[in-house]
Amino acid sequence: MIEWQVLSSASKNLRVNLDPRTKLFLLITICILVIGGQINGIMLIIRPALAAISLILLFTAGKRKISNICIGVYVFFFICENFILPVMTGTLGFILLFFSGFITRLLPGMVMGYYTVETTSVSEFIAAMKKIHLTKKIVIPLAVMFRFFPTVIEEYHAIGDAMRMRGIRFGGKNIFKILEYRFIPMMICSIKIGEELSAAALTRGLGAPVHRTNICRIGFHFIDIFLIFLCIALFILSILSKIGVF
Amino acid sequence: MNSSKSQAKDLVNIGIYSSIYLVITMLLSFLSLIPVFHPLLAILCPIVGGVPFMLFLTKTRKFGMITIMGIIMGIVMLLTGMGYFCLFTGLVFGLLADIVAKSGNYVSAKKSILTSGVFSIWYVGNYLAAFIIRQSHYDHIIKSFGQEYADAYMSFYPNWMLPVLFAVCFISGIIGGFLGKALLKKHFKKAGIA
Repeated sequence: MIEWQVLSSASKNLRVNLDPRTKLFLLITICILVIGGQINGIMLIIRPALAAISLILLFTAGKRKISNICIGVYVFFFICENFILPVMTGTLGFILLFFSGFITRLLPGMVMGYYTVETTSVSEFIAAMKKIHLTKKIVIPLAVMFRFFPTVIEEYHAIGDAMRMRGIRFGGKNIFKILEYRFIPMMICSIKIGEELSAAALTRGLGAPVHRTNICRIGFHFIDIFLIFLCIALFILSILSKIGVF
Repeated sequence: MNSSKSQAKDLVNIGIYSSIYLVITMLLSFLSLIPVFHPLLAILCPIVGGVPFMLFLTKTRKFGMITIMGIIMGIVMLLTGMGYFCLFTGLVFGLLADIVAKSGNYVSAKKSILTSGVFSIWYVGNYLAAFIIRQSHYDHIIKSFGQEYADAYMSFYPNWMLPVLFAVCFISGIIGGFLGKALLKKHFKKAGIA
Protein backbone atom coordinates (compact mmCIF):
# COMPACT_ATOMS: atom_id res chain seq x y z
CA MET A 1 0.00 0.00 0.00
CA ILE A 2 2.74 2.41 0.99
CA GLU A 3 4.73 1.39 -2.01
CA TRP A 4 1.77 2.02 -4.24
CA GLN A 5 1.33 5.48 -2.78
CA VAL A 6 4.97 6.33 -3.31
CA LEU A 7 4.80 5.15 -6.88
CA SER A 8 1.63 7.01 -7.69
CA SER A 9 2.78 10.24 -6.10
CA ALA A 10 6.02 10.06 -8.03
CA SER A 11 4.26 9.54 -11.30
CA LYS A 12 1.47 12.09 -10.74
CA ASN A 13 3.68 14.90 -9.54
CA LEU A 14 1.97 17.75 -11.39
CA ARG A 15 2.52 15.94 -14.64
CA VAL A 16 0.32 16.44 -17.68
CA ASN A 17 0.32 13.43 -19.93
CA LEU A 18 0.02 14.81 -23.40
CA ASP A 19 -0.67 12.71 -26.44
CA PRO A 20 2.45 12.36 -28.64
CA ARG A 21 0.48 13.80 -31.53
CA THR A 22 -0.20 16.94 -29.51
CA LYS A 23 3.47 17.23 -28.67
CA LEU A 24 4.50 16.93 -32.31
CA PHE A 25 1.86 19.42 -33.41
CA LEU A 26 3.08 21.87 -30.76
CA LEU A 27 6.66 21.30 -31.89
CA ILE A 28 5.79 22.02 -35.52
CA THR A 29 3.79 25.09 -34.51
CA ILE A 30 6.68 26.44 -32.47
CA CYS A 31 9.18 25.72 -35.23
CA ILE A 32 7.13 27.45 -37.89
CA LEU A 33 5.82 30.39 -35.89
CA VAL A 34 8.67 31.11 -33.49
CA ILE A 35 11.68 30.29 -35.63
CA GLY A 36 10.32 31.20 -39.01
CA GLY A 37 7.58 33.69 -38.23
CA GLN A 38 7.43 37.44 -38.48
CA ILE A 39 8.25 39.65 -35.54
CA ASN A 40 5.66 42.38 -35.59
CA GLY A 41 2.09 43.11 -34.62
CA ILE A 42 0.27 40.20 -33.12
CA MET A 43 3.36 37.96 -33.35
CA LEU A 44 4.83 39.96 -30.47
CA ILE A 45 2.24 38.25 -28.29
CA ILE A 46 2.17 34.87 -30.03
CA ARG A 47 5.89 34.15 -29.77
CA PRO A 48 6.24 34.61 -26.00
CA ALA A 49 2.97 32.72 -25.52
CA LEU A 50 4.32 29.70 -27.39
CA ALA A 51 7.62 29.97 -25.53
CA ALA A 52 5.70 30.04 -22.24
CA ILE A 53 3.77 26.91 -23.20
CA SER A 54 6.96 25.00 -23.95
CA LEU A 55 8.68 26.19 -20.77
CA ILE A 56 5.66 25.36 -18.58
CA LEU A 57 5.46 21.90 -20.13
CA LEU A 58 9.13 21.28 -19.40
CA PHE A 59 8.61 22.50 -15.83
CA THR A 60 5.68 20.18 -15.24
CA ALA A 61 7.65 17.25 -16.66
CA GLY A 62 9.74 17.30 -13.49
CA LYS A 63 12.94 18.62 -15.03
CA ARG A 64 13.12 21.40 -12.46
CA LYS A 65 16.78 22.34 -12.75
CA ILE A 66 17.03 22.53 -16.51
CA SER A 67 13.65 24.22 -16.86
CA ASN A 68 14.57 26.86 -14.29
CA ILE A 69 17.76 27.61 -16.21
CA CYS A 70 15.83 27.84 -19.49
CA ILE A 71 13.16 30.10 -17.99
CA GLY A 72 15.83 32.38 -16.54
CA VAL A 73 17.74 32.63 -19.82
CA TYR A 74 14.60 33.19 -21.88
CA VAL A 75 13.21 35.88 -19.58
CA PHE A 76 16.56 37.67 -19.50
CA PHE A 77 16.94 37.80 -23.28
CA PHE A 78 13.26 38.54 -23.78
CA ILE A 79 13.59 41.61 -21.55
CA CYS A 80 16.77 42.55 -23.40
CA GLU A 81 15.06 42.27 -26.76
CA ASN A 82 12.02 44.29 -25.86
CA PHE A 83 13.10 46.85 -23.30
CA ILE A 84 16.85 47.34 -23.29
CA LEU A 85 17.72 47.05 -26.99
CA PRO A 86 15.66 49.97 -28.29
CA VAL A 87 17.77 52.32 -26.21
CA MET A 88 21.10 50.71 -27.01
CA THR A 89 23.37 51.33 -29.97
CA GLY A 90 26.89 50.47 -31.07
CA THR A 91 28.81 47.22 -30.96
CA LEU A 92 27.46 46.09 -27.61
CA GLY A 93 23.92 46.61 -28.85
CA PHE A 94 24.69 44.60 -31.96
CA ILE A 95 26.11 41.69 -29.99
CA LEU A 96 23.18 41.76 -27.58
CA LEU A 97 20.68 41.92 -30.45
CA PHE A 98 22.36 38.98 -32.09
CA PHE A 99 22.28 36.84 -28.96
CA SER A 100 18.77 37.79 -27.93
CA GLY A 101 17.50 37.17 -31.46
CA PHE A 102 19.21 33.82 -31.42
CA ILE A 103 18.03 32.74 -27.97
CA THR A 104 14.42 33.92 -28.13
CA ARG A 105 14.16 32.27 -31.52
CA LEU A 106 15.78 28.90 -30.91
CA LEU A 107 15.24 28.23 -27.22
CA PRO A 108 11.47 27.51 -27.36
CA GLY A 109 11.96 25.02 -30.18
CA MET A 110 14.85 23.33 -28.39
CA VAL A 111 12.90 23.16 -25.12
CA MET A 112 9.89 21.68 -26.88
CA GLY A 113 12.04 19.18 -28.75
CA TYR A 114 13.79 18.16 -25.54
CA TYR A 115 10.45 17.81 -23.77
CA THR A 116 9.03 15.68 -26.58
CA VAL A 117 12.00 13.34 -26.62
CA GLU A 118 12.23 13.10 -22.83
CA THR A 119 8.57 12.38 -22.12
CA THR A 120 7.61 10.15 -25.04
CA SER A 121 8.59 6.51 -25.09
CA VAL A 122 9.29 4.84 -28.40
CA SER A 123 6.20 2.63 -28.04
CA GLU A 124 3.99 5.65 -27.44
CA PHE A 125 5.49 7.34 -30.45
CA ILE A 126 4.85 4.33 -32.69
CA ALA A 127 1.31 3.96 -31.37
CA ALA A 128 0.56 7.61 -32.08
CA MET A 129 2.08 7.49 -35.56
CA LYS A 130 0.04 4.40 -36.32
CA LYS A 131 -3.10 6.30 -35.39
CA ILE A 132 -2.42 9.01 -37.94
CA HIS A 133 -1.80 6.24 -40.51
CA LEU A 134 1.73 7.21 -41.41
CA THR A 135 3.40 4.47 -43.41
CA LYS A 136 5.64 2.03 -41.57
CA LYS A 137 8.49 2.96 -43.91
CA ILE A 138 8.69 6.41 -42.35
CA VAL A 139 7.63 5.52 -38.81
CA ILE A 140 10.28 2.88 -38.10
CA PRO A 141 13.28 5.00 -39.15
CA LEU A 142 11.88 7.96 -37.22
CA ALA A 143 11.30 5.80 -34.14
CA VAL A 144 14.83 4.45 -34.37
CA MET A 145 16.19 7.98 -34.64
CA PHE A 146 14.09 9.00 -31.67
CA ARG A 147 15.83 6.36 -29.59
CA PHE A 148 19.22 6.54 -31.28
CA PHE A 149 19.93 10.25 -31.60
CA PRO A 150 20.80 10.73 -27.89
CA THR A 151 23.02 7.64 -28.06
CA VAL A 152 25.07 9.07 -30.92
CA ILE A 153 25.56 12.36 -29.07
CA GLU A 154 26.59 10.45 -25.93
CA GLU A 155 29.11 8.46 -27.96
CA TYR A 156 30.41 11.67 -29.52
CA HIS A 157 31.13 13.13 -26.08
CA ALA A 158 32.70 9.92 -24.82
CA ILE A 159 35.03 9.75 -27.83
CA GLY A 160 35.74 13.47 -27.38
CA ASP A 161 36.87 12.86 -23.81
CA ALA A 162 39.07 9.97 -24.84
CA MET A 163 40.67 11.99 -27.62
CA ARG A 164 41.23 14.99 -25.37
CA MET A 165 43.32 12.71 -23.19
CA ARG A 166 45.44 11.99 -26.22
CA GLY A 167 45.69 15.68 -27.02
CA ILE A 168 43.56 15.64 -30.15
CA ARG A 169 41.16 18.55 -30.07
CA PHE A 170 39.82 21.45 -32.09
CA GLY A 171 42.41 24.11 -32.70
CA GLY A 172 45.03 21.45 -33.08
CA LYS A 173 47.36 21.08 -36.03
CA ASN A 174 45.34 19.12 -38.50
CA ILE A 175 41.61 19.41 -39.08
CA PHE A 176 41.49 16.12 -40.96
CA LYS A 177 42.94 14.36 -37.93
CA ILE A 178 39.82 15.45 -36.05
CA LEU A 179 37.64 13.98 -38.74
CA GLU A 180 39.50 10.71 -38.60
CA TYR A 181 39.98 10.41 -34.85
CA ARG A 182 36.66 11.73 -33.63
CA PHE A 183 34.00 11.00 -36.22
CA ILE A 184 35.17 7.55 -37.28
CA PRO A 185 35.28 6.00 -33.78
CA MET A 186 31.92 7.63 -33.08
CA MET A 187 30.49 6.02 -36.20
CA ILE A 188 31.94 2.61 -35.40
CA CYS A 189 30.58 2.70 -31.83
CA SER A 190 27.17 3.92 -32.96
CA ILE A 191 26.91 1.32 -35.70
CA LYS A 192 27.78 -1.48 -33.29
CA ILE A 193 25.10 -0.25 -30.90
CA GLY A 194 22.73 0.13 -33.82
CA GLU A 195 23.24 -3.45 -34.91
CA GLU A 196 22.38 -4.65 -31.42
CA LEU A 197 19.36 -2.40 -31.46
CA SER A 198 18.10 -3.79 -34.73
CA ALA A 199 18.64 -7.35 -33.52
CA ALA A 200 16.68 -6.50 -30.38
CA ALA A 201 13.89 -4.94 -32.41
CA LEU A 202 13.66 -7.99 -34.66
CA THR A 203 13.56 -10.26 -31.62
CA ARG A 204 10.59 -8.31 -30.36
CA GLY A 205 8.84 -8.98 -33.62
CA LEU A 206 9.33 -5.75 -35.53
CA GLY A 207 9.62 -7.63 -38.81
CA ALA A 208 6.77 -10.03 -38.14
CA PRO A 209 4.10 -9.95 -40.83
CA VAL A 210 1.24 -9.62 -38.35
CA HIS A 211 -0.65 -6.69 -36.96
CA ARG A 212 1.30 -5.38 -34.00
CA THR A 213 -0.51 -4.52 -30.80
CA ASN A 214 0.50 -1.85 -28.35
CA ILE A 215 -0.31 -1.41 -24.66
CA CYS A 216 0.25 2.32 -24.61
CA ARG A 217 -2.87 4.34 -23.92
CA ILE A 218 -2.94 7.02 -26.53
CA GLY A 219 -5.81 9.44 -26.69
CA PHE A 220 -6.79 13.07 -26.60
CA HIS A 221 -7.77 14.55 -23.27
CA PHE A 222 -9.12 17.97 -22.46
CA ILE A 223 -5.66 19.53 -22.30
CA ASP A 224 -4.70 18.05 -25.68
CA ILE A 225 -7.78 19.44 -27.38
CA PHE A 226 -7.21 22.79 -25.72
CA LEU A 227 -3.59 22.99 -26.91
CA ILE A 228 -4.44 21.88 -30.44
CA PHE A 229 -7.17 24.48 -30.79
CA LEU A 230 -4.81 27.06 -29.35
CA CYS A 231 -2.20 26.18 -31.99
CA ILE A 232 -4.74 26.35 -34.81
CA ALA A 233 -5.94 29.72 -33.52
CA LEU A 234 -2.35 31.00 -33.41
CA PHE A 235 -1.76 29.82 -36.98
CA ILE A 236 -4.89 31.64 -38.17
CA LEU A 237 -3.88 34.78 -36.29
CA SER A 238 -0.40 34.74 -37.79
CA ILE A 239 -1.77 34.27 -41.30
CA LEU A 240 -4.22 37.12 -40.74
CA SER A 241 -1.42 39.37 -39.54
CA LYS A 242 0.63 38.42 -42.58
CA ILE A 243 -2.17 39.45 -44.92
CA GLY A 244 -2.40 42.66 -42.99
CA VAL A 245 -5.66 42.52 -41.12
CA PHE A 246 -4.04 43.79 -37.94
CA MET B 1 8.39 -13.79 -43.78
CA ASN B 2 12.01 -13.43 -44.65
CA SER B 3 11.45 -10.42 -46.88
CA SER B 4 9.44 -8.55 -44.27
CA LYS B 5 12.17 -9.29 -41.74
CA SER B 6 14.85 -7.92 -44.00
CA GLN B 7 12.64 -4.94 -44.76
CA ALA B 8 12.39 -4.16 -41.04
CA LYS B 9 16.15 -4.46 -40.76
CA ASP B 10 16.61 -2.04 -43.65
CA LEU B 11 14.26 0.45 -42.04
CA VAL B 12 16.16 0.26 -38.74
CA ASN B 13 19.39 0.81 -40.68
CA ILE B 14 17.96 3.92 -42.31
CA GLY B 15 17.16 5.28 -38.87
CA ILE B 16 20.65 4.53 -37.56
CA TYR B 17 22.57 6.06 -40.45
CA SER B 18 20.23 9.05 -40.64
CA SER B 19 20.92 9.84 -37.00
CA ILE B 20 24.69 9.61 -37.48
CA TYR B 21 24.43 11.81 -40.59
CA LEU B 22 22.30 14.34 -38.76
CA VAL B 23 24.47 14.50 -35.65
CA ILE B 24 27.45 15.33 -37.85
CA THR B 25 25.46 17.92 -39.81
CA MET B 26 24.23 19.55 -36.62
CA LEU B 27 27.65 19.69 -35.00
CA LEU B 28 28.93 21.49 -38.08
CA SER B 29 25.87 23.74 -38.23
CA PHE B 30 26.87 25.50 -35.04
CA LEU B 31 29.54 27.17 -37.16
CA SER B 32 26.81 29.00 -39.10
CA LEU B 33 26.50 31.56 -36.31
CA ILE B 34 29.38 33.31 -38.02
CA PRO B 35 27.93 34.66 -41.29
CA VAL B 36 30.96 33.63 -43.38
CA PHE B 37 30.51 30.02 -42.44
CA HIS B 38 26.88 29.95 -43.51
CA PRO B 39 27.49 29.39 -47.24
CA LEU B 40 30.63 27.38 -46.46
CA LEU B 41 28.44 24.77 -44.76
CA ALA B 42 27.30 23.73 -48.23
CA ILE B 43 30.86 22.55 -48.72
CA LEU B 44 31.63 21.19 -45.25
CA CYS B 45 28.45 19.25 -44.52
CA PRO B 46 28.37 17.12 -47.69
CA ILE B 47 32.09 16.35 -47.39
CA VAL B 48 31.93 15.14 -43.80
CA GLY B 49 28.46 13.69 -44.23
CA GLY B 50 29.76 11.71 -47.19
CA VAL B 51 31.50 9.32 -44.79
CA PRO B 52 28.37 7.95 -43.04
CA PHE B 53 26.48 8.17 -46.32
CA MET B 54 28.97 5.92 -48.12
CA LEU B 55 28.76 3.53 -45.21
CA PHE B 56 24.98 3.63 -45.54
CA LEU B 57 25.27 2.83 -49.24
CA THR B 58 27.10 -0.40 -48.41
CA LYS B 59 23.93 -1.48 -46.58
CA THR B 60 21.43 -0.53 -49.27
CA ARG B 61 20.40 -3.15 -51.76
CA LYS B 62 16.83 -2.09 -52.41
CA PHE B 63 15.15 0.72 -54.26
CA GLY B 64 13.58 3.32 -51.99
CA MET B 65 15.95 3.34 -49.03
CA ILE B 66 17.80 6.47 -50.10
CA THR B 67 14.49 8.19 -50.89
CA ILE B 68 13.25 7.46 -47.38
CA MET B 69 16.45 8.87 -45.94
CA GLY B 70 15.92 12.04 -47.99
CA ILE B 71 12.35 12.41 -46.75
CA ILE B 72 13.53 11.92 -43.17
CA MET B 73 16.14 14.64 -43.61
CA GLY B 74 13.30 16.91 -44.75
CA ILE B 75 11.11 16.03 -41.77
CA VAL B 76 13.92 16.59 -39.28
CA MET B 77 14.89 19.89 -40.88
CA LEU B 78 11.25 20.96 -40.61
CA LEU B 79 11.16 20.00 -36.94
CA THR B 80 14.41 21.81 -36.20
CA GLY B 81 13.14 24.96 -37.83
CA MET B 82 15.13 25.10 -41.05
CA GLY B 83 11.98 25.65 -43.10
CA TYR B 84 9.85 23.40 -45.28
CA PHE B 85 11.93 23.54 -48.47
CA CYS B 86 14.05 20.59 -47.38
CA LEU B 87 11.03 18.30 -47.50
CA PHE B 88 10.85 18.97 -51.22
CA THR B 89 14.58 18.78 -51.99
CA GLY B 90 14.99 15.73 -49.77
CA LEU B 91 12.29 13.88 -51.67
CA VAL B 92 13.47 14.90 -55.16
CA PHE B 93 17.19 14.38 -54.72
CA GLY B 94 16.74 11.31 -52.58
CA LEU B 95 14.74 9.80 -55.43
CA LEU B 96 17.30 10.88 -58.04
CA ALA B 97 20.13 9.45 -55.93
CA ASP B 98 18.17 6.24 -55.64
CA ILE B 99 17.85 6.04 -59.42
CA VAL B 100 21.59 6.60 -59.86
CA ALA B 101 22.41 3.91 -57.30
CA LYS B 102 19.92 1.56 -58.91
CA SER B 103 21.61 2.02 -62.30
CA GLY B 104 24.84 0.76 -60.68
CA ASN B 105 22.94 -2.12 -59.06
CA TYR B 106 23.90 -0.71 -55.63
CA VAL B 107 27.38 -2.24 -55.87
CA SER B 108 29.26 -0.08 -58.40
CA ALA B 109 31.87 2.04 -56.61
CA LYS B 110 31.77 4.83 -59.21
CA LYS B 111 28.01 5.04 -59.15
CA SER B 112 27.92 5.13 -55.36
CA ILE B 113 30.24 8.14 -55.33
CA LEU B 114 27.95 9.81 -57.87
CA THR B 115 24.99 8.89 -55.65
CA SER B 116 26.63 10.65 -52.74
CA GLY B 117 27.00 13.76 -54.92
CA VAL B 118 23.38 13.72 -56.06
CA PHE B 119 22.03 13.04 -52.58
CA SER B 120 24.01 15.96 -51.13
CA ILE B 121 22.03 18.42 -53.24
CA TRP B 122 19.13 18.08 -50.76
CA TYR B 123 21.17 20.42 -48.61
CA VAL B 124 20.36 23.32 -50.96
CA GLY B 125 16.87 23.26 -49.42
CA ASN B 126 18.31 25.00 -46.37
CA TYR B 127 19.24 27.97 -48.52
CA LEU B 128 16.19 28.16 -50.78
CA ALA B 129 14.38 30.52 -48.40
CA ALA B 130 17.00 33.17 -49.18
CA PHE B 131 16.07 33.01 -52.89
CA ILE B 132 12.40 32.12 -53.14
CA ILE B 133 10.95 34.34 -50.44
CA ARG B 134 13.80 36.79 -50.59
CA GLN B 135 12.24 39.98 -49.23
CA SER B 136 10.36 38.47 -46.32
CA HIS B 137 13.38 36.36 -45.41
CA TYR B 138 15.53 39.50 -45.38
CA ASP B 139 13.09 41.45 -43.20
CA HIS B 140 12.90 38.47 -40.93
CA ILE B 141 16.66 38.33 -40.40
CA ILE B 142 16.90 42.08 -39.83
CA LYS B 143 14.31 41.85 -37.07
CA SER B 144 15.87 38.89 -35.35
CA PHE B 145 19.60 39.32 -35.84
CA GLY B 146 19.98 43.00 -36.73
CA GLN B 147 20.79 45.00 -39.86
CA GLU B 148 24.52 44.20 -39.96
CA TYR B 149 24.07 40.45 -39.81
CA ALA B 150 21.26 40.57 -42.36
CA ASP B 151 23.32 42.60 -44.82
CA ALA B 152 26.31 40.32 -44.37
CA TYR B 153 24.03 37.33 -44.74
CA MET B 154 22.26 38.50 -47.87
CA SER B 155 25.47 39.66 -49.53
CA PHE B 156 26.42 35.99 -49.74
CA TYR B 157 23.27 35.12 -51.65
CA PRO B 158 22.85 37.12 -54.85
CA ASN B 159 20.60 35.36 -57.35
CA TRP B 160 23.45 33.79 -59.35
CA MET B 161 24.45 32.04 -56.15
CA LEU B 162 21.63 29.49 -56.47
CA PRO B 163 23.11 27.43 -59.35
CA VAL B 164 26.50 27.80 -57.70
CA LEU B 165 25.11 26.28 -54.51
CA PHE B 166 23.68 23.37 -56.47
CA ALA B 167 27.05 22.78 -58.11
CA VAL B 168 28.97 23.23 -54.86
CA CYS B 169 26.79 20.75 -53.00
CA PHE B 170 27.14 18.25 -55.81
CA ILE B 171 30.90 18.57 -56.07
CA SER B 172 31.52 18.47 -52.34
CA GLY B 173 29.17 15.51 -52.14
CA ILE B 174 31.39 13.75 -54.63
CA ILE B 175 34.50 14.73 -52.65
CA GLY B 176 32.74 13.38 -49.57
CA GLY B 177 32.05 10.21 -51.51
CA PHE B 178 35.73 9.77 -52.31
CA LEU B 179 36.68 10.56 -48.73
CA GLY B 180 34.11 8.11 -47.45
CA LYS B 181 35.36 5.45 -49.82
CA ALA B 182 38.96 5.96 -48.66
CA LEU B 183 38.04 5.89 -44.98
CA LEU B 184 35.83 2.87 -45.58
CA LYS B 185 38.80 1.05 -46.99
CA LYS B 186 41.12 2.20 -44.22
CA HIS B 187 38.92 1.69 -41.15
CA PHE B 188 35.60 0.05 -41.66
CA LYS B 189 36.70 -2.94 -43.71
CA LYS B 190 39.16 -3.75 -40.94
CA ALA B 191 36.45 -3.50 -38.31
CA GLY B 192 34.25 -5.76 -40.38
CA ILE B 193 31.45 -3.23 -40.77
CA ALA B 194 31.51 -2.29 -44.45
